[in-house]
Amino acid sequence: MIANILDGIVLGLQFGLLAVGLTLVYGLGGVLNLAHGQMAVAAAMVVALAQAAGLPIWLAAGLGLLAGGLMGLILDLTILRPVYRLRGEARVLLSLLLTLGVSFTVEGFLNWRYALGALSLRIGGGAVEILGVPMRRGSLAASAITLATFAALFLFFRYTSLGRAVRSVIEDQEGARLVGIYPHRMLRLILVLSGVLAALVAITRAMVTPIDVHSGLSITTFALIVTVVGGLGNVAGALLAGLILGIVNAVAADLIGTYISLIILLGAAALTILTRPAGLLGVRE
Amino acid sequence: MALLELDQVHKHFGGLAAVNGVNVRADDGEILAIVGPNGAGKSTLLKLIVGLETPTRGAIRFAGQEITQAPPHRVRQMGIAMVQQTPRHFASMTALENVALGALFGRAGAHRQEEQALELAGEALSFVGLADRRHDLVGHLNLHEQRFLELARAIAGGPRLLALDEVMAGLNDTELEASIAIIRAIRDQFNMTIIWVEHVMKAVMSLAERVVVLDFGTILTEGLPAEVMRHPAVVKAYLGQEMNHA
Ligand SMILES: Nc1ncnc2c1ncn2[C@@H]1O[C@H](COP(=O)(O)OP(=O)(O)OP(=O)(O)O)[C@@H](O)[C@H]1O
Ligand SMILES: [Mg+2]
Repeated sequence: MIANILDGIVLGLQFGLLAVGLTLVYGLGGVLNLAHGQMAVAAAMVVALAQAAGLPIWLAAGLGLLAGGLMGLILDLTILRPVYRLRGEARVLLSLLLTLGVSFTVEGFLNWRYALGALSLRIGGGAVEILGVPMRRGSLAASAITLATFAALFLFFRYTSLGRAVRSVIEDQEGARLVGIYPHRMLRLILVLSGVLAALVAITRAMVTPIDVHSGLSITTFALIVTVVGGLGNVAGALLAGLILGIVNAVAADLIGTYISLIILLGAAALTILTRPAGLLGVRE
Repeated sequence: MALLELDQVHKHFGGLAAVNGVNVRADDGEILAIVGPNGAGKSTLLKLIVGLETPTRGAIRFAGQEITQAPPHRVRQMGIAMVQQTPRHFASMTALENVALGALFGRAGAHRQEEQALELAGEALSFVGLADRRHDLVGHLNLHEQRFLELARAIAGGPRLLALDEVMAGLNDTELEASIAIIRAIRDQFNMTIIWVEHVMKAVMSLAERVVVLDFGTILTEGLPAEVMRHPAVVKAYLGQEMNHA
């Protein structure tokens, strides 16, 4: 049981980080990016190819992060342009459709060129005992990197003007404009950040379990569920929801079976929407 | 020379002409009040100036440049700051952090550093008398403090023109006096031009240098406060009704 919970925490931290990107992009720009998982997978493939070409792992990982950020920027400059012309529901719907298209295109391309491609990063050394449970070093390294990233995000949003400018747009877009902030510039920045974070999750995930070209849909699905439970536009909520759902997922998969755990997660998301529409940490309007 | 000029400005919402062919000019360093009954188009007029709405027809010029189509963040960076009718602050941030956003982003080409912005924000807060509340979350401030906070945020980027929308509504007499003093000081010390929509006649009479009366989206009359208040059309269309309120 403790082993399951620890596994769940490792997974949950990563879910949380995936959700941060989705949730911030939505909170800032009313754009729901269904290609999030495929962006992560594509970045993982960049790392795998770079490694295969003989680059050292740190350089390969750096290229992967760069690729993630670049994909965010390209989304902003191309496919999202027509989305930005719309407001409200139409905007969300068009973003759903277009990014879904991107996800199919990316996955189709990867499947065609690198059908057997996968990223698996082995971190050497024996297991380390935590609470009497042997944990693989890969899991620990992945969790440490993810936690450090969360800490950096909190510091960024709390203590820098740029971070506060992003928050101001999420809180009140018109108010932000009135103090001279250009919301679209903040959205572009966060799209790039969300691409980098997706790449980071793909890389750290590969320290725990292999990422292959078909992992995109499940990554997007998990991220979406965590986003909904955590509350849109809420970084702390994403962390909390990621942890809770990560543990629920690991325990449910062990007790009942993997096939049922996704249904349980979806149920949890539905329940959250029904009882707390603004998310776990959200305040009622 | 006119700092701000509205030239035959119209704003239609569907069939409704909220602003219907208005010409206004505000000179450098002047305090211009805009009065008129509810729904006269006063807020819409200010929103047109700061870019929250785009005119259906007509032109708006500021400091010699056309800003008719300019988006709000551009207008702010060019030097027009607005305080809206309902307080709009960022609730998750402290007073100082709120004002620092205005100091950092509210001016084009300033490229201020974080510390400099915080310093300017602190000065602006002192100016409106909120120095000791700087580290409080804005939700903990009361209504008039929130209004003063917004004034501080508006002046923090060093704009040339302030557009104020009913910033004195709901204040008691002492708070009203304090507001009047602050706005007068803003003009005197920074030579900012002030366009100010207001229902509180007492404040208008003591602070405004010129008054424009708006009704049904058109200018009924304009002039010195004392003249305008004696104008028969104003007494009929607006003041009588206002007196009954009070
Ligand atoms: N976005 C909008 N869409 C449709 N109608 C609008 C919109 N904004 C304002 N109006 C209408 O335009 C008219 C003028 O509104 P405005 O808010 O400018 O009045 P006001 O003079 O500020 O009134 P008050 O003293 O009540 O604040 C009103 O009839 C209002 O209903
Ligand atoms: Mg109004």
